[in-house]
Amino acid sequence: MGKLWKFILLGSIVLILVLMGLGLGRDTKKIPTALLEKPAPILRGPALAGTDTIDIADYKGKWILVNFWGSWCGACVGEHPELMRLDRLIKERDDFAVIGVDYKDTRRGAMAFLRRHGTPSYPMVFDPDQKVAIEWGIVRAPESYLVNPDGMIIKKEYGPLVRNWFNTVALPLIEAYNAKKKPGAS
Amino acid sequence: MRHLLQWSMCVLALLVVTPVMAQEAEPAKQGTVKAEDPRESLVRKIASELRCAVCQSQSVYDSNSGLAKDMLKVVRDKVHAGEQEDDIRRYFLERYGDYIYMEPVMNSRNMALWAGPFAALLFGAFGLWFAIRNWYNPNTKSASKADKNSDEATSGDMKSRIQKELDSIDM
Repeated sequence: MGKLWKFILLGSIVLILVLMGLGLGRDTKKIPTALLEKPAPILRGPALAGTDTIDIADYKGKWILVNFWGSWCGACVGEHPELMRLDRLIKERDDFAVIGVDYKDTRRGAMAFLRRHGTPSYPMVFDPDQKVAIEWGIVRAPESYLVNPDGMIIKKEYGPLVRNWFNTVALPLIEAYNAKKKPGAS
Repeated sequence: MRHLLQWSMCVLALLVVTPVMAQEAEPAKQGTVKAEDPRESLVRKIASELRCAVCQSQSVYDSNSGLAKDMLKVVRDKVHAGEQEDDIRRYFLERYGDYIYMEPVMNSRNMALWAGPFAALLFGAFGLWFAIRNWYNPNTKSASKADKNSDEATSGDMKSRIQKELDSIDM
């Protein structure tokens, strides 16, 4: 067998093993979003508490974390302390906002959840028939999107936000965006 | 024995008569079925082609999950609002990607996945053909080279070793 054939055979085996490795590492429950690098869909709906209407358009020009949750979701309990941390952070930063979307839920269940785990001050949309969740391509809770000041979705988080999410995930993206927007930057 | 025969006859008669009666009853039943609302038929068509994102290979129309039911409601609302079938399908594609379709779409990535195994098979068949040709045809370049190599080996070290072995045999 010639050297070329040996190389081709070895290459094919390596390629198959790499593809197998990639396939094994893939989370089949994680459906890749089609909304990445695209304009954020409409988010407009009644507030969870009160009679206001919440509209993402009112937060234009800010970084927005859109967090989808429900009182029925066990993982949302684990994520809640991080959201409470972000709630404290938005009081210090003008350029960052959080909008919660409570979907497939009852007001009573959601309010009981917030009473037990803490009520953040940021606005929350009540979406009992998942219209907003479907509009945003949500499959499971919790899921979150990070929207940049241009209104583009730049990150999707599947599952609970990691601890210290803002510093480890959002801040590098904000800094990269600011560096790109700086006059003179290529 | 006589009872058993009577019972068998009764069971046989029932087996023959029941389908006949059912067939006779069919035309009356058909007459009472109302024609389906064309909009509902479109809802069924679109929802049957959309995958329930939280189920195992079930369409939005067939699934009982909460997400599928709400997706079906969205499809129904859009159909009743007069939106076109392609626009509704695109609405879900833009949010969930091509995963949401039950049938794979024709794009370059999917085409590579479909054609890949056939290309690999062709490549393997070509390789096998080339290898077999080399094994059975001594006139080919590599086969003659292999023979030449083996002759050289035999004529060199091997010959002296054989001679040594022969010399050591006590005749």
